[in-house]
Amino acid sequence: MRKIILPLMLLLAAGGCDIVSDPKEGLAGPTVPGNDGVVRRVLLEDCTGFRCNNCPQAANMAQSLKNVYGDRLVIVGVHMKQQFAGPEWPYDDGIYDTDFRTEAGNVYDQTFGIIGLPSGLIDRAPYNNIMAMGIGSWSEAVAARMELPPLMDTWFEGLQYDGGTNTVSGTVKVAVLEPINGDHNLTIYLTEDHVIDWQLDGVTNIPDYDHRHVLRGALNSPWGQSLITGDAQPGDTLTATFSYPLPPNVLQPANCALVAYVYSTAGADQYEVKQVVERKIIP
Amino acid sequence: MKKRILSATSALFIASVIWAQDGGQIHGNFSVDGQLYNDDEEIGAVKPPADFGLNSWSNLMYRNNNFEAGIRLESYEPALLGYPAGQAYSGTGVGFRYATFRKDDLEITAGNFYEQFGQGLAFRSYEERYLGVDNAMDGVRVKFSPDTGIFLKGFIGTQRLAFNNGFTKGTGVVRGIDGEISVLEAFPRLLPKLAEKGNNLSIGASFVSKFQADKDPLLVLPENVGLWAARAHYTTSRWDLYSEYAYKINDPNASNHFIYKRGQALMANATYSLSGLGVTAGAHIYDNMTFQSDRGAPSLFDLNINYLPTLAKQHSYNLPATLYPYATQPNGEVAYQAEVFYLFKRGTKLGGKYGTKLTVNWSGAWSLDSTALPNDTVHLMGYKTNFFSMGQRQYFSDLNVELRKKLSSKWELTLSWLNLMYDIEVVQGKSGKKDIYADMFILEGLHKINDKTSLRFEAQHLSTKQDQGDWATGLVELTFSPHWFLAAMDQYNYGNPVEKERTHYPIGSFGYIRGASRFSFSYGRQRAGIFCVGGVCRVVPAANGLTASITTTF
Repeated sequence: MRKIILPLMLLLAAGGCDIVSDPKEGLAGPTVPGNDGVVRRVLLEDCTGFRCNNCPQAANMAQSLKNVYGDRLVIVGVHMKQQFAGPEWPYDDGIYDTDFRTEAGNVYDQTFGIIGLPSGLIDRAPYNNIMAMGIGSWSEAVAARMELPPLMDTWFEGLQYDGGTNTVSGTVKVAVLEPINGDHNLTIYLTEDHVIDWQLDGVTNIPDYDHRHVLRGALNSPWGQSLITGDAQPGDTLTATFSYPLPPNVLQPANCALVAYVYSTAGADQYEVKQVVERKIIP
Repeated sequence: MKKRILSATSALFIASVIWAQDGGQIHGNFSVDGQLYNDDEEIGAVKPPADFGLNSWSNLMYRNNNFEAGIRLESYEPALLGYPAGQAYSGTGVGFRYATFRKDDLEITAGNFYEQFGQGLAFRSYEERYLGVDNAMDGVRVKFSPDTGIFLKGFIGTQRLAFNNGFTKGTGVVRGIDGEISVLEAFPRLLPKLAEKGNNLSIGASFVSKFQADKDPLLVLPENVGLWAARAHYTTSRWDLYSEYAYKINDPNASNHFIYKRGQALMANATYSLSGLGVTAGAHIYDNMTFQSDRGAPSLFDLNINYLPTLAKQHSYNLPATLYPYATQPNGEVAYQAEVFYLFKRGTKLGGKYGTKLTVNWSGAWSLDSTALPNDTVHLMGYKTNFFSMGQRQYFSDLNVELRKKLSSKWELTLSWLNLMYDIEVVQGKSGKKDIYADMFILEGLHKINDKTSLRFEAQHLSTKQDQGDWATGLVELTFSPHWFLAAMDQYNYGNPVEKERTHYPIGSFGYIRGASRFSFSYGRQRAGIFCVGGVCRVVPAANGLTASITTTF
């Protein structure tokens, strides 16, 4: 018995070490399926804040992934937490005075137990048992979600923006491709791109940082509206017609987009996003 | 899940019934902390949806001859606000279970276990319950002593990540091996004179490796990351000398911004003690030494494989312990600490009738002396370091003097002064905040009113021109031995530059102790702050409400 203990222990530890001299050598790159047919699109909710010094790094990571996956990756910057996304005292000095928080962001912060920023929700599905994940997992988690087959397709129809009433209206359509079990909701976000404001980056305060894909609000409430009750079968097409005024925090309607996603409301896959689509409100 | 809990409990119970015939014993302990919350807009306390939080732990351990088994049931229904430090805990279930068999210098554990190699630079699996840190291993551990003074350990497993009706685990597999030789014990004839004096020299070495699959489309990531460490420990009747060095291969992770630089750490501590005199000095450098079993771990509290001890005094008084405590910077720091205590003997001028103890402690931490390599887009090494050279940025310094004096058979006083420099931007991540320079004075008194009744009080004051300005804390505690205690405390941020934030944080508490059981209750405000143990800190949110705690052992 004793004679085998030491070799056994050495064997246990003999995991070795992988020395990587060129971290980018021989990468085939992610496989991005063409636009033929329906593909799985992935929602990356970048939990962020303009007073979070590591958040620009996360935004860069999100944009790097966007450059790889294009329209298949939908990014939403969810600004949250008073100390990171709320205004900083003194409140009227023109420095960090904006309140980027939204009702939806506050609800998600509580529900998903966001501990610190930056953090990411990728299709609101756990990866390596972690739902709200650090940016170190984003690349792998997005790649893993991209490999999943699409369960449904989602698109906007008749999307219109009325500048006079500052209202956006249209229809979200959902075509079921695979049997869906359980209740699912549809949530529609309004996001604004290229919001110029302060951002802390490391120890540098940047007065004119380009904030991308900023969540301005969930038009049909943070948890959306019921779309599927019980189950849905291939061939079913579900529709949701909407008309909403733009939230008052929007600065440039021309930079705004709608993001619609379908997610499970209960069961083992509760909150998991099954499909997502993004479209600018002014083409 | 209920079935799992029942089956695990039943297995332990059945085992105890079966083996009890041979004289096996069951031991255990239980603790519960509950809090009923109120909204308190003035301090920013928000009542959670459930109005209350409750953390509970029950340990049961069974021992019979060479066999030992244990289980810990945990309950978070829901967890207390701000708890734990890392990933969320929720629900009720089994948080820890193990079985250990020992025979002939061999010990095998299956299931959960805690373990440490050396001071932890290579590996430390531990639980710090009130901090909310638990990176218990789940796997197999073997300990073996092939001869006198020779100790071998090996393990393989995954780590506890969070709790959701049972512990959940991280994705990475961790394996390690450690050997230690107590030289004078193993080879007493090698240095007989030293052995006769009771001196000892032990040397040890460790190797720890983690495996995590690489599925990243943007980078080639090392799937196996190894870390080795070596240590030496020499003790005499007066000296205690310890040093440990660790080296880690490329370990790109979220914490180090995915650089491929190697990590290394060196620590050295020396203690000299005589009757009435003690001198301690220590130094360390940590460079890129975060080592987690998931390279994408969401926070520095999760899935840590190693542990980097801090070199800063862990204060127990309220203001220095919770306002500006130092937390180790694992990705890079150079730190030093020195402490001298001297006991002025009884009957001397300074010692008086009962003696006087004087302690002077200083610690300081700096950034690494490093140079960024922004143009290295091929090897992604990030930066280069001058080893054991301090950088320009000071993170922390703490000079404190404590004078402890027993005045009479009924009175004892302790007077402390602290001078603190604190880089709140780095240590607490409060970007844009200025460095804090603070002085603190603390007077603690203990008065024995009679054989059963004693009164303890503290008066604390912190003065600073930065952050939230000046603070004062007062505490009075009355103990009626052996069962009851009663306490009241108020913290007052009277110097806050924002007038409406000059807030009182009063809290009152009482408790009852009987045998091995302790019951305590408190009501009042809890200030948002930092709670640290051993250089690991978590944020404690502001709260207002009633807290109850019960602990017992059997």
